[in-house]
Amino acid sequence: MKLLMNCKVLIASVIACSFMFSVPVFAQVNKLSDAEIASVAVVANQIDINYAAIAKMKSKNSDILRFAETMASDHKAVIDQAVALVKKLGVTPKDNAVSRKLMSESEKTKRMLRSKSGMAFNKAYIDNEVAYHKAVISTVEGLLIPQANNRELKDLLQNVVPTLRTHLEHAIMVQNEISK
Amino acid sequence: MKSYCLGPLCICFCVIFILNSCSTATPKKVHNVYTVEIKQMKFQPAELVVQKGDTIVWINRDLVAHDVTEVPDKTWTSSPIPPGKSWSLVVSQSADYYCSIHVVMKGKILMR
Repeated sequence: MKLLMNCKVLIASVIACSFMFSVPVFAQVNKLSDAEIASVAVVANQIDINYAAIAKMKSKNSDILRFAETMASDHKAVIDQAVALVKKLGVTPKDNAVSRKLMSESEKTKRMLRSKSGMAFNKAYIDNEVAYHKAVISTVEGLLIPQANNRELKDLLQNVVPTLRTHLEHAIMVQNEISK
Repeated sequence: MKSYCLGPLCICFCVIFILNSCSTATPKKVHNVYTVEIKQMKFQPAELVVQKGDTIVWINRDLVAHDVTEVPDKTWTSSPIPPGKSWSLVVSQSADYYCSIHVVMKGKILMR
């Protein structure tokens, strides 16, 4: 009976978790302005740079360190492009519900990552990278690109998607490698 | 009389000399230059057929830096190519290569 209850709890947890990850972050948000979209883009990239910084401090695994290095340099390059574009357009990135939610979620994730070490850290970091890139790709394609008004902002977001997909593919490869 | 005979003879020698020169001259080998664009996180084209001595130029048209590195031994590498920049290689043998920054990006050089 106790085993059955545990199974039920486990199944309920799995369903809850899968629902959490499958519901896009943008499901309940209103239309974003270009200034708000720029803010989401910068925050989403900065969050992954912050995760990479933790990985570089805590991991000794060469695959993890190389992946983290790539995340730090690529997301910085995207931020630089976004900042250059908003300057050119005369837009000031504006804080909003999506960027605030991304930031608050990332604080929890950073606490979780800092609490782990060794192999447990490597697994937690790369699992989070897989989940995070899936969520960001979904947000960029499902929310930011459709809602962007300015052509150049839309083009920049579209150009970022292949980079994010490559990061996801790379993260899955590292995930498989370290789970061997 | 003698001078009439020497004229055509000289012309014949000249023609033979010219024809002989043409037939024995080694044709100058022309080396081609090929371009591989790095865009949308792919090497385009991913596979290139070239001849020994040809040059391949990789141009980075992406938002992020890439490199071009031989696999499996890393016998040559471009080092990071920033966006908008390029790097070239004179081909001496067939090779597989990848981007060591984004390890899922792969390409191939086939030497005829």
